[in-house]
Amino acid sequence: MAEQPNQNDIHPTERIKKDRAAIVEVMMELQAKRGFLDDQDVIEAARRTGLSPTEVEELASFYTLIYRRPVGRRVLLVCDSVCCAMNGSERLLNTLERRLGIALGEVSRDGAVTVLPSICLGLCDRAPAALLNGEALGPLDDARLDALLLELKRSR
Amino acid sequence: MTAFEIDARQVPFNNGDNILKAALNAGVEIPHFCYHHALGSLGACRLCAVEVKPEQPEQRPRVVMACMEPARAGLKVSVAAPAALRARQGVIEFLMTNHPHDCPVCDEGGECHLQDMTVACGPPYRRYRGRKRTFINQDLGPLVHHEMNRCITCYRCTRYYQQYALGTDLGAMRLRNEVYFGRFQDGPLESPFAGNLVEVCPTGVFTDKVFRSRFARVWDLDTAPSICPHCSVGCNTLPGARLGTLRRVRNRDHAELNRWFLCDRGRFGHQYTEHPERPWQARVRGQTVNYSDALGAALDQLQRAGAAVAGVGSPREDLESNALLQRLIIRHGGFFAAFTDPGIEAATAHAVRYINRMGTPTLAAMEHADAILVAGELTAVAPMMDLGVRQASRNKAKVGVIHHVADPLATLADYDIRLAPRQTSVALKRLQGMIATTAEQSSGDEHGLAQLAATLMHAQHPLLIGVVETLGAYGVAALAKLAQSLGGQAALAYALPGPNAYGAAIVNEDGATQKVLEAVETGKVRCLVVTAADPLGDTRTGWRWREAVGRLDSLIVMDCVDSATVRAADILIPTAAWAERSGYFINYEGRVQCFDRVFERDKPLPASVAVIADLANALDLGAGEPRVAIADLLPGIALPLAGEPGIRLTPRVRLDVPPPIESVAGATGHWQVGLASWYGDDPLADHAAALSSLAPASTATIAPDTARIAELATDARVMLRGPAGSLPLPLCIDANVAEDTVALPRSAMCQIGVGHGGYVELEAMP
Ligand code: SF4
Ligand code: SF4
Ligand code: FES
Ligand code: FES
Repeated sequence: MAEQPNQNDIHPTERIKKDRAAIVEVMMELQAKRGFLDDQDVIEAARRTGLSPTEVEELASFYTLIYRRPVGRRVLLVCDSVCCAMNGSERLLNTLERRLGIALGEVSRDGAVTVLPSICLGLCDRAPAALLNGEALGPLDDARLDALLLELKRSR
Repeated sequence: MTAFEIDARQVPFNNGDNILKAALNAGVEIPHFCYHHALGSLGACRLCAVEVKPEQPEQRPRVVMACMEPARAGLKVSVAAPAALRARQGVIEFLMTNHPHDCPVCDEGGECHLQDMTVACGPPYRRYRGRKRTFINQDLGPLVHHEMNRCITCYRCTRYYQQYALGTDLGAMRLRNEVYFGRFQDGPLESPFAGNLVEVCPTGVFTDKVFRSRFARVWDLDTAPSICPHCSVGCNTLPGARLGTLRRVRNRDHAELNRWFLCDRGRFGHQYTEHPERPWQARVRGQTVNYSDALGAALDQLQRAGAAVAGVGSPREDLESNALLQRLIIRHGGFFAAFTDPGIEAATAHAVRYINRMGTPTLAAMEHADAILVAGELTAVAPMMDLGVRQASRNKAKVGVIHHVADPLATLADYDIRLAPRQTSVALKRLQGMIATTAEQSSGDEHGLAQLAATLMHAQHPLLIGVVETLGAYGVAALAKLAQSLGGQAALAYALPGPNAYGAAIVNEDGATQKVLEAVETGKVRCLVVTAADPLGDTRTGWRWREAVGRLDSLIVMDCVDSATVRAADILIPTAAWAERSGYFINYEGRVQCFDRVFERDKPLPASVAVIADLANALDLGAGEPRVAIADLLPGIALPLAGEPGIRLTPRVRLDVPPPIESVAGATGHWQVGLASWYGDDPLADHAAALSSLAPASTATIAPDTARIAELATDARVMLRGPAGSLPLPLCIDANVAEDTVALPRSAMCQIGVGHGGYVELEAMP
């Protein structure tokens, strides 16, 4: 991490004029350390961008790819927006919860995986779709789901 | 014709209006949640559904959102159409799935928009039997209570707090069905305008925490139109009382002043009226007496003193008390002043004359300025003017702030100019010079003044706002000259020191304060009558008053709050607080406004004016009629009634303003004292328990560079020495303080006897 000047030495106006647009990269960078942002990280992101901690929290808690709690080594984002909902995302999510033995947002006991619902992933043509650490999956019919679960189990 | 039809009623509209805005302006109700006049349309709640009739025969009627649909001539709209009714009913039913069934225990009940809308549009009973979403509430500090379960996600709160008031510590977090409106972590809301959330939120998520501590149902409250007594803006308010105690203050719309909002000082400052140390009992030399005995004792002292009497009025006292006390004292042959500090008197008098001569904008008009210079810490003195500047800034105005301590407006400013107190008028003169001689641009542009000068010069509607208390007469004049040099389009406004400072200035004669103070100091006065002022607690002159009153035979004090002067009184006559009586204030625009009596206490206290009238009548001075005293002061003015928008005084006299001379007296130390104030700092609101619990700690604050040069460490304690004595304070280092300046709170300044811009000695303590 670069040396940060003492907060008191930067004048507020200059601080505010610093590039607020860098916030997503700053959050991503901080998240890379442990896989999620804790409260201190939110404060640190605020300090680096000139946003307030509340403004950072607004973004951190909105973006699906920023986590405010510990997550598994792999994160499975399952779309539950319109197309996927019509193509069975609810059943998909229920099945995942049951077969992995975790509720949405929880970390599996071995730390391997977390399942989260997501808004449209832009994979509507492959509904019901999901994203596993950035890798597009879908349509997740029964066969593909079995394969996915097998893979998740193997990688444990 | 620019009108359209709503259910067979013609509704006029302005270009750019949407259906909802035009309807509400015309007094036609369309149910809505997320639309708000100050915040505009969002289209989020879907409650404003109305049906638009087809314009072509082959078209079908459409249900549209009234807040998103532009008003057009000839449009035929129906609020009552069954399709629109069904849509609204569906919206309410959905909102109520998560809303708790807690109206009976909810503070909002009886004035809840959601309650009204549900009764007006909703289904008669609930079909949903599932679980409700619940949240954990936050502690948002002593002023605003949080109950997130009641949220209907209209986003009014964050749109108000972030976009309108430019606050950064309240936001909308998370997503989906769990959107949460709050702070990152528990803690007091930081905005000086946070209390407006209570009125902006259409449900009971944000409620008045002070009111909650002594709650009454809205239909049980006694209310009457009032005027805020906490600063010179004169915002219109609606205080509510119950069973002889004041419970809360709400906003009351004034089209040219506060409109929808109040500052937190105006909303929560009223708690001073319930302060345990408020003087309730008359006292004569330490003995508790009843009113007539106190009056008798006062009469006796006045008679004995003969012409050796003096009276001190106050910028926080109403017009009639000031006018009547002046009459009484002058007819008695004595001296009267409406101020306690000659410097504040001169500064106020000059400001009032410049306003009188050059005019001044309404609060609403300030929002249309395209370049603004604020000289002084405006937020701390006239908070709602700050909110006006924020609107102008949102409308793309360039804002420059000249300040000496941390200032909320400066953090938003385009030109943030930090200067030691005495440098301010120098900078104003320099700006004027730059504008007068356009060439003089580049010769060493200190502090970005040249850019600011250019911005002001090129603006269509430049606005200059000065804080009178810290500018002093010299700075007030420098600001007015700067406005004059910008030509006719420049607007000039001053934040005056008190709700009736304008009134005090027109009652007061030039130099009267100095005369009264000197007369008391030299023993020429035997009896001094003070109403609603605290001369002994003044920053600059308090120590002189404290010494001088020792020479009096008697000090007669009338007030509704405790103060150094109240404690020193020989005869104390407690008086009614503003909501317990009626009266007139003249605001910063020269607007005479009337406030009504809101309630009566079990044991009512007399208004100051009634006490003065009793004295005048008993002394047979023929001065006893308040209305006559005001009529003499404001000839030809038909005084407004409470609830009316007030009457702006037109310039009566074209006074030539003699340029004030800057005084450099009292230069004993190296450090210039700068007043460290905050938005709750006011002689009345200081006694408001919840609000004053937010007051910043008492420290001596200096800039990091200055600390380095003076070799002062962060955790040091320093000893300050002034004419009235010395005081140890913890040191605080803050980059927002100007160099060579030590920022002190009012109470510390009073103890050591220096005013803003005065000098002190400061040394590190071992
Ligand atoms: S807290 Fe109130 S104002 Fe804010 S979104 Fe919820 S209901 Fe609307
Ligand atoms: S700005 Fe002044 S008048 Fe208005 S509410 Fe605040 S303290 Fe009262
Ligand atoms: S709706 Fe699921 S990816 Fe678009
Ligand atoms: S008021 Fe129109 S959608 Fe909310």
